[in-house]
Amino acid sequence: MQQKNLSIMHPRPSSIVAALYTLRDLNVEVAILHGPPGCSFKHARLLEEDGIRVVTTALDENGFVFGGHDRLVDMLQKVEERFSPKRIGVVGTCVSMIIGEELHEAVMEANLDAPVIEVEVHAGYNDNTKGVLFALESALDVGIIDRQEFERQQHLLNEATNVEKKYGAASKEYLEPSRGDVKYTVAKRVIEMLKEGKKGICILNAKKETAYMFADITLALQEVAENLGVEDNIVNFANLDTELGLPRVRQHAEHILADMDDNVKIDEIIGGLDEYPIAGQQVRQLIEAKYRDFDFAVISGVPHAIPMEALEGMELISITNGPRQVHPLKDMGHEHVLVEIDLHPKTLGVTNIVESEFGATLRQLAREE
Amino acid sequence: MNPQKRIAIYGKGGIGKSSTASNVAAACADEGYNVMIIGCDPKSDSSITLLGGKRIPTILDLLRDGMEIEEEDEVVFEGYKGVKCVEVGGPEPGIGCAGRGIIVAIQKLKKISQSMKEMDLIIYDVPGDIVCGGFVAPIRKGLVSEAYVLTSGEYMPLYAANNICKGLSRINTKLSGVICNSRSVSREEKIVSKFANEIGSELVAFIPKEQIVQDCERDGYSVLEKAGDTDIAEVYRTLARNIMASDCAVDPRALEDERLRELTR
Ligand code: SF4
Repeated sequence: MQQKNLSIMHPRPSSIVAALYTLRDLNVEVAILHGPPGCSFKHARLLEEDGIRVVTTALDENGFVFGGHDRLVDMLQKVEERFSPKRIGVVGTCVSMIIGEELHEAVMEANLDAPVIEVEVHAGYNDNTKGVLFALESALDVGIIDRQEFERQQHLLNEATNVEKKYGAASKEYLEPSRGDVKYTVAKRVIEMLKEGKKGICILNAKKETAYMFADITLALQEVAENLGVEDNIVNFANLDTELGLPRVRQHAEHILADMDDNVKIDEIIGGLDEYPIAGQQVRQLIEAKYRDFDFAVISGVPHAIPMEALEGMELISITNGPRQVHPLKDMGHEHVLVEIDLHPKTLGVTNIVESEFGATLRQLAREE
Repeated sequence: MNPQKRIAIYGKGGIGKSSTASNVAAACADEGYNVMIIGCDPKSDSSITLLGGKRIPTILDLLRDGMEIEEEDEVVFEGYKGVKCVEVGGPEPGIGCAGRGIIVAIQKLKKISQSMKEMDLIIYDVPGDIVCGGFVAPIRKGLVSEAYVLTSGEYMPLYAANNICKGLSRINTKLSGVICNSRSVSREEKIVSKFANEIGSELVAFIPKEQIVQDCERDGYSVLEKAGDTDIAEVYRTLARNIMASDCAVDPRALEDERLRELTR
């Protein structure tokens, strides 16, 4: 028996939301939220930007007391009729789970042609990765992924949870959000280092679709270095393996690499876009083997997953999209920490690299020089 | 080997489900069966008479205290003749949702319990009437295959029993029989037997009202353990044998309220 761990006070995406994102990565076309009409509203809308439809059974007070079975059956049939999706997801909510709704029964009764991934989940889990896990378990059951991929995902999830608990947004009871350092000042410092002939590693260690914007930082740094004639002083790492991950995640890596093609060479692939929690080990080995004498590192995406020992002696410039990630990164010893605000909404539904604020600042400054 | 029997006993609150369940469990253990009893009532007194009057920690108590239950022996306790005892527990009256509690506890138990698989008989002692989704969770989650209804010859318990039959047909669960726990009302056996027939089932046991049941219970023992040579112990034994042998479950047809009133008039 062990005591449960610390409970986080600040708002975070819930297990329900995590399940929805996972369904999207499994290329589900319509997800039905079985619960209150407003549940997870903001993410549901965001996901719609990303091409997946999210509908709700809109349970009301009566539904809470008397159950929502018929509504769900109805909604399943409506969804089939209206959208003829090839793959459907049904996601539980606090309400439907508390009153003991059986998603499976409704799915059987609706008797659809398309496979339905059922996720019995509510928002009351401290580790929101539970939602991912349940969705994957169900995808395994209906044969959408195989056991090997399931186990791989499970391993990555555990690692992601560990990273968040050790250095991330689940590391403290309450984390003050922060916008981080001023981008102009930090861009200036980067250009200064390039001019001094210092050598830098640019590490893209991004989580899935966020890579569409973080990759722009790799591009911008490359451009600036080229303009200064020091492109040989920069090496690029990126977790853009196109052979790893759930269907949609592999597509992202392909899109980004295609977009980078002529402009930048990735020297080291450090894993797939879902391997951000474990890529740090590879980064460490690579640096130890080949890049020990580098002076600085620009790390975008999930910088806190790179072990500090790997980066010893380098000046660190880190770019995250989490305002609550600033303090933990500073605590770890990252000198400069930047936040790309609103990154997520801008990277949903895209298939090309999206301009980042830091990238834009670097370019502008280089032009002014 | 016989297939595993997984039964639930339903009936109006206070009608004697727990003492029936624990005496049946004891009788089956006497016959050499592996038995588990899972008490789902917040009072958690299904197992107390199998444990010499000792109360065991409930699954929900542990979960409420923030414990991660990982080992079976944290919640499964061995009582009289090796009967495995589990108590689900429940929230404070008026707080939260007891039904949801049963769902959570049962899922937890299913996850950690190895010995559940090795049982010949698992008895779910479910609280009260079927009133919400949580109370039928053991059935819905595929853990129960047959149900028994316990009643007396009075109107209210019969009303509840009838209601339960409605619930059972809704969730497609078979009824294996009606048990009468007598309150010594007039024509009782006849009334309950008629009720049982009209819903399409049968009266499988008539348990007379006897002080000795109460006395044993107060001391913290089952009748089988403390007064094994009494007539009432024999009644429980017969019921236990019936349950282990039964194979004729039916889809119950609930009666109209008017008919129910007529029966008890
Ligand atoms: S409490 Fe649960 S069900 Fe209700 S809106 Fe929030 S996440 Fe959804």
